[in-house]
Amino acid sequence: MKTMDCKDVLANLACYIDGEGSEELRHALEEHMSRCRRCRVVFDTTGTMLKIVTDAEPFEVPLSVSARLYTRLEKVLSEM
Amino acid sequence: MQKDEPPKKTAPDGDDRILVDRVVAGDRRAFEPLVRKHERRVFRVALAVLGNIEDAEEAMQDTFVKAFRHLDQFRKESRFTTWLTRIAVNEAIQKRNARKNFVPLTEAENAKEQFAPKRYEPWKSNPEQLYGKHELHRIVEDAIQSLPQIYREAFVLRDVEELSAEEAAEALGISVPALKSRLLRARLMMRETLAARFEEPATLKTKIVHKAVDVGTAVAMRLMRAAGR
Repeated sequence: MKTMDCKDVLANLACYIDGEGSEELRHALEEHMSRCRRCRVVFDTTGTMLKIVTDAEPFEVPLSVSARLYTRLEKVLSEM
Repeated sequence: MQKDEPPKKTAPDGDDRILVDRVVAGDRRAFEPLVRKHERRVFRVALAVLGNIEDAEEAMQDTFVKAFRHLDQFRKESRFTTWLTRIAVNEAIQKRNARKNFVPLTEAENAKEQFAPKRYEPWKSNPEQLYGKHELHRIVEDAIQSLPQIYREAFVLRDVEELSAEEAAEALGISVPALKSRLLRARLMMRETLAARFEEPATLKTKIVHKAVDVGTAVAMRLMRAAGR
């Protein structure tokens, strides 16, 4: 595989993060990142961003919104 | 229907199928645990498409009403989660398109060029400990809401709700490569937004060192490419 430039790395970043792509592609990405500080930072911090999003407190439906949902469903189900 | 605390962990999909079978067979009470399990996801997805709580609430209600009425059409070749998410996305998109002030955002308009990162400083170690739990939650939510809609919905389905790429693409009615391309851009935009909160502030010295390293790397790569020709 030809030497990757930063644009190639960026285009394949999601694939690499998700553990997809051929061994050859992954090797080429790793080879580039071992030499390129900027790509390494982008890769590392994108991974950190995903971890922060995953670990953040779960999103909750506001209680009043949820209560109105159950009221509407109760009505709909009883009419059918 | 009384709402109890929703389960934090998502139960396996097999449970959904059992509940669906019960509802289809006439046991309406079995619909409640399905709603309880999936309301958070449905609301989240509707909010991602619509961008405001009022519309997302309406879309969520309509999603569950429609799901209940058409439950016998759930064919089980996909997961119940994907089927329901698809309905939620459709309901939300219909609402969005019906808005008077709706301006369609085409991918071509918004993604003419590859998204170029602008921030290249490393982040502080243990970035999650920099903020309290609630503040961190708000920072993440604000960043998600700041994404343009097509990137927001791809990000929410894939990285927040953790659908597979195939499921997220199916729910959004787009191809897997299109989903992946939106997702890449969404992730880079999220990184850029959150960098403002988590980046290690660069001293003049590190800025100079980084600049020298980046220039050196660029020259070396150009030479390597030239040598490889």
